[in-house]
Amino acid sequence: MTSRFDATTTTTCGYCGVGCRLEAHRVGGRIASISPAGDGPANKGHTCVKGRFAHQFSRSRDRLTAPLVREGGEFRLASWEEAIGRVADAFGRIKSEHGPDAIAGLASSRATNEDCYVMQRMMRAAIGTHNIDNCSRVCHSPTSFALRKSFGLSGATGSFDDIEAAQVALIIGANPTQGHPVAGARIKQAAIKGLRLITADPRRIELADYGELHLGMRPGTNAALLNGLAHVVIRDDLTDHEFVAERTEGYEAVAELVEAYTPESVEEITGVPAADVVRAAHLYARAERASILWGLGVTEHRYGSECVRLICNLALLTGNVGRPGAALLPLRGQNNVQGSSDHGALPDTFTDYRPVSDDAVAESFERRWGVAMKRERGMKIPEMFDAAVEGRLKAMYIFGEDVAQTDPNTEHVIHALESLDFLVCQEIFESVTTQYADVVLPASSFLEKIGTFTNAERRVQFVSAALDPPGSAKTDFEILTTVSGALGHEMGYETPSDVMDEIAELTPRYAGISHERVGRGGLQWPVAPDGTDTPILYEERFELPGGRARFAPLPYKPPGDQADDEFPFILVTGRRLEHYNAGTMTRRTGNLELMSSDWLEVHPDDAAALGLEDGETVTVRSRRGEIQLPARVTERIEPGHVFTAFHFPEVRTNLLIGPSADINTSCPEYKVVAVAIEPVGERAREPVSAGAEPALSGS
Amino acid sequence: MKVEIDGQPVEVEPGTTILEAAQAAGRHVPTLCFDDRMAPFGACRVCMVALEGAAAPVAACTTPCRDDMRVHTEDETARRIAAATVELVLSELPEPPAEHTELAAVARFFEIGAPRWPGERRAPAHDRRHPYLALQHELCISCGRCVRACDEVQGAFALTATGRGFGSGITAGLDAGFVDSTCVSCGACADTCPTDAITEHSLLELTTAYTDDEGGLR
Repeated sequence: MTSRFDATTTTTCGYCGVGCRLEAHRVGGRIASISPAGDGPANKGHTCVKGRFAHQFSRSRDRLTAPLVREGGEFRLASWEEAIGRVADAFGRIKSEHGPDAIAGLASSRATNEDCYVMQRMMRAAIGTHNIDNCSRVCHSPTSFALRKSFGLSGATGSFDDIEAAQVALIIGANPTQGHPVAGARIKQAAIKGLRLITADPRRIELADYGELHLGMRPGTNAALLNGLAHVVIRDDLTDHEFVAERTEGYEAVAELVEAYTPESVEEITGVPAADVVRAAHLYARAERASILWGLGVTEHRYGSECVRLICNLALLTGNVGRPGAALLPLRGQNNVQGSSDHGALPDTFTDYRPVSDDAVAESFERRWGVAMKRERGMKIPEMFDAAVEGRLKAMYIFGEDVAQTDPNTEHVIHALESLDFLVCQEIFESVTTQYADVVLPASSFLEKIGTFTNAERRVQFVSAALDPPGSAKTDFEILTTVSGALGHEMGYETPSDVMDEIAELTPRYAGISHERVGRGGLQWPVAPDGTDTPILYEERFELPGGRARFAPLPYKPPGDQADDEFPFILVTGRRLEHYNAGTMTRRTGNLELMSSDWLEVHPDDAAALGLEDGETVTVRSRRGEIQLPARVTERIEPGHVFTAFHFPEVRTNLLIGPSADINTSCPEYKVVAVAIEPVGERAREPVSAGAEPALSGS
Repeated sequence: MKVEIDGQPVEVEPGTTILEAAQAAGRHVPTLCFDDRMAPFGACRVCMVALEGAAAPVAACTTPCRDDMRVHTEDETARRIAAATVELVLSELPEPPAEHTELAAVARFFEIGAPRWPGERRAPAHDRRHPYLALQHELCISCGRCVRACDEVQGAFALTATGRGFGSGITAGLDAGFVDSTCVSCGACADTCPTDAITEHSLLELTTAYTDDEGGLR
């Protein structure tokens, strides 16, 4: 029997952080079909509407296939030599006039580990600045920060397999059946087979229907709920005293702090009935193996990083960490949001989160790269935009991120981009951000490159090229190494495999990782020099001085924005199943037929009070801006709250989001925005065609 | 416990099925309704094997091993029953199954040519309303794999077995079609379907002159 396909390539999905392994079937230079790899550790022969079907974007007619340079206000096609020459000239000039710190770069959490490592090396060694960040800043940087403080390492403590191994799972601030569909399917199946689920979210998410208990807390009150759960655990003596005594520090301060968080007081703050707080705490603490999963509903808050530490407290109190079925699993947003941060695309750390201020670590990179580096950290994303507006930052190199659509406080971001002397975008499509670029370099999608992604369970998995980049587009590896060479820093790699070898050589916890070893099954870091990986962290000791985990006594504090008379509703933003983040990829596929426009979810009681009918267009106004979109009346949302996603540029949800951000990591508070809702008095128009064009005008 | 597959001893855990034991022993037992992502179903009778001391062949996928069981996977009676079942299935189809399908592979395994039982064949009935998924009802053999994948792998509960006998088949959302059902477009049904009764438009385009003419709803 002959195959229907010219070739089949096993690779790793480029959508969410679950990290499904895929078989990409190629016919005549395009993908004919994608099927799940039966041996994928995270997906076990399954995938979702994005991973399986949303691949036609890779051959979309509007892919960037040649470099663009700006001339007289317009883009024109250019050769690679000219485009890269312009980048080198501009960066050289700005560096000599204003110093290297007047330049900043953003790596991409959709790109490979190798791409991100090369990008941060280019910024640090070729340009000479630590001004490098990536979009985990706006999603799970609070998780990374908190896990490092509480346990030592920045990653899930276990694996997706712990979902099936657990007896009880608490899912807080995540909607896995939409945002992480394959993990969502695994959780749902586990729940059907007996996993006792507690869901906690301002929306009644689908998994709540399969759970034992749903806690519908008010947005921004997670800390009160988590401290309330800890209160009940301690009050009813469900504490694992042996674990607390032998493996933790700081219990007393937490016990003292949470005393005030009685179920009744928690009900007052969160709106969750006191009896449900008690029931949830009992369910979680009485299980022999209980896991906690969370998403951006925990992190994208003013005190997001503190809430992750409170999640850690709860696990420590009950000894639910470091064993099968007792895991803390942050559901990472993009395919490689774990890996981009792991590999040093952050302003304060080299690979494996080792600070740039650490002399021994910095010297190892200086020796390898033949350069000297500062010991002071660079700018985080929001600081970059502030500096651009203030004129301190002159140039940016933005790789695979549409900041003008996805970052909060859109007006400010656009002002920043306009203020720059020079902007380079490395992209697969024109975007809102590329409209402000001076040079646009046509890059490659995940189907066109070689390297590794690291999924939400710290698993480094291989990415293989199923296609060639279209036209004269190049792989990101080739572009970045060439630009670095043009800036006077030759990296000396032949293939991405050489990059991983360098990472392994300079990073003790990744010492055993190589492309060859990653193979089909992947490797979960830390990986010992002999290739032994680590599905479960902290079985014996925590990675902090003394080997003990740290409790964090942190009180509830109100969110950065609050409803008031003028803005009486709280807007929560999130994801929908059919689309992915800025929609750059999914809106260029048949997924658009499955979901062609967005809507605002409104509770029936609120709709009645507003005189609002299902499908009617409303104006949503915040302290920052306003947008219009159709309303959908649903009981999935609690009264007083409204919800929408951010996949459609024509909706421009992020115009509404203010500057409030996590106090430790600057992760924006996308989840709590006070808004006013007004019907505009017309039925929903036909959905705006959301095809290929990056609609800037908010059409 | 210990079982013997075609004379070869295999050590298995209690609860292991004969099919799993045979696979562990490296023996090939053909299957049609089986998919290791889902619980065994025992609908297709293609995995029939003989047990020493048993009155009749049994389905390997749903029969648990017992201590000292002796299994013959190439038993003539078992093979004859399985082949006849496959031949009956094939006799209802309007055309032979596409070469790449599992049904075609099973037919090749049993060396079944043109079915010897001419009779009524299913009329083409296509639903192409979904942007990716194509339903070709006439190719459905009621193995239940899509329904179980939808229930047991995804958990969308969008597919239902309908009809009886010659009129049996599957339906998405009680005939509302995939898009207007609880379907989440994960494609698990198309991935498991052994006949292309559920497949992708992009795959049909590869093997057939795929047009919108025959009885299509799209």
